[in-house]
Amino acid sequence: MIGLIAALLMAVAAVTSIVFTYLAVVEKNLVQAVVFSAVQSTMYALIYFLLMAPDIVLVYLPVGVGIYPAIILLLIKKTDKVDE
Amino acid sequence: MRVTDLVVAASIVALALLLSYAMLLGGIGPVPVRSELRTLALNYILLTYNPVKIIYSALAPEGVTAIVWDYRGLDTYFETAVMFLAIISVVALTHGCKVRIGLGRGGMSLIVKTTTRILMPLIVLAGVSITMHGWLTPGGGFQGGATIAVATVLALVTYSLDTLAKHGIRKKVLLAMRSAGLIGIALTAVALLLVGLAIGVNAYIFQNQERVGSPLAFPAYFGGTPTGGSLLFYNLFEAFAVSAGLSLVIIMASLRESEVRSALRGEGVE
Amino acid sequence: MSELIPYLLTVVFVSFVINLVIALYGIFARPTLVKKIIALTIFSDSLNSLAIFVGYRMVPKGVPAPPVVVNYTSPQGPAQLAKVAVDPLPQALVLTAIVIGLAVTLFMVKVTMQVYRVYGTTSVRKLERIEQSNREEVEEEVIE
Repeated sequence: MIGLIAALLMAVAAVTSIVFTYLAVVEKNLVQAVVFSAVQSTMYALIYFLLMAPDIVLVYLPVGVGIYPAIILLLIKKTDKVDE
Repeated sequence: MRVTDLVVAASIVALALLLSYAMLLGGIGPVPVRSELRTLALNYILLTYNPVKIIYSALAPEGVTAIVWDYRGLDTYFETAVMFLAIISVVALTHGCKVRIGLGRGGMSLIVKTTTRILMPLIVLAGVSITMHGWLTPGGGFQGGATIAVATVLALVTYSLDTLAKHGIRKKVLLAMRSAGLIGIALTAVALLLVGLAIGVNAYIFQNQERVGSPLAFPAYFGGTPTGGSLLFYNLFEAFAVSAGLSLVIIMASLRESEVRSALRGEGVE
Repeated sequence: MSELIPYLLTVVFVSFVINLVIALYGIFARPTLVKKIIALTIFSDSLNSLAIFVGYRMVPKGVPAPPVVVNYTSPQGPAQLAKVAVDPLPQALVLTAIVIGLAVTLFMVKVTMQVYRVYGTTSVRKLERIEQSNREEVEEEVIE
């Protein structure tokens, strides 16, 4: 029973991550693309937790939701802001 | 985020669901998820905390940290070297740029500053806690160090770059911390080798407990709880090095454009 | 009902592969360097997820456990864990891979900032046009 709930949550998170990956790649406003990418990272962190890899969750959360969006937002501030 | 984007995304989701159902029906069959462990994984789990067979054990209850720092320690050494190379290259590309104090506007409003002042020590505390439990529960050096670097990012955005420089978070200080962490890791890796050379017994590098042909060992228990031998020192120094290194890269990437351009053109370098 | 859990795991696996393909499309189809960097991080994350997925296992009753020896005082602890634990080796390799990906991305961001300072744009098409006009100027000087 618990295995079924865990697998269902994993599938829902994986399907949501497909939607946010596509929106992050197609979006022309770069700041919104970074936000979509951060949401996709959060979905991935949930999948890693359900795949029983807690060490990877503790690496992925500061790196994927903290350092990557911060440094790419600094890059966007200094370069182009629209993907054209 | 137009409607056509959402429609295309929903159709890709439908493709994923139907494709996995088609994979399940026959042909390829379901994804081969095993139901028993591979032999190598079984050996790692049975040997990671084994007071009977100390010759092959790491005496740390956490399996992944023992593999990262003891069984495959050379992989981690090269990964640390690659990270060090990236940080040094970022620092070298902004050589000569200075932070002129007094140019900033002073940061964000008072509400944001007060909230950040409460939140930052909590984030640092969480990072230290993740580090210090790295050999008993999931965690470790890199995880704790990355969490502490997030606190530096928060402080950089809320207060300005000048306030951070005034309070002592400068390039030289962070480089010194990073180098101290890396020297600590190198010393822990060759510690037993030096002791063995001094006394006159056999020893290896990256040695944690007794191994075949070498009776030296790190102290493995501290008042009843296992400390994992050298994993304690590795986690401490790695957290030091990683937090300083990632904070340094963020600060180097956020220098003001006027300073950087003037330094790159050759004016204002003294 | 017992057919549902393999179906859901297959959905997760197929979604990782589809993310990989979408990120690969993003790398070579979008013009700005910043979008290419974002797509590259998604690409490496999906690849690491596939590696972690290889280490999962299905136990006949209940859920599997992370590879941490929780009761290390009893001598049967590791043997009991070996019945329900997942594979710890792919997780250690993925940890190394994440750190190396972080290092390469940090360096790429710095180089992109430098490209913007020298050329004034990060769009690959405009860069190509600038390079073309520079080369034509050099050829004109050589011919004269």
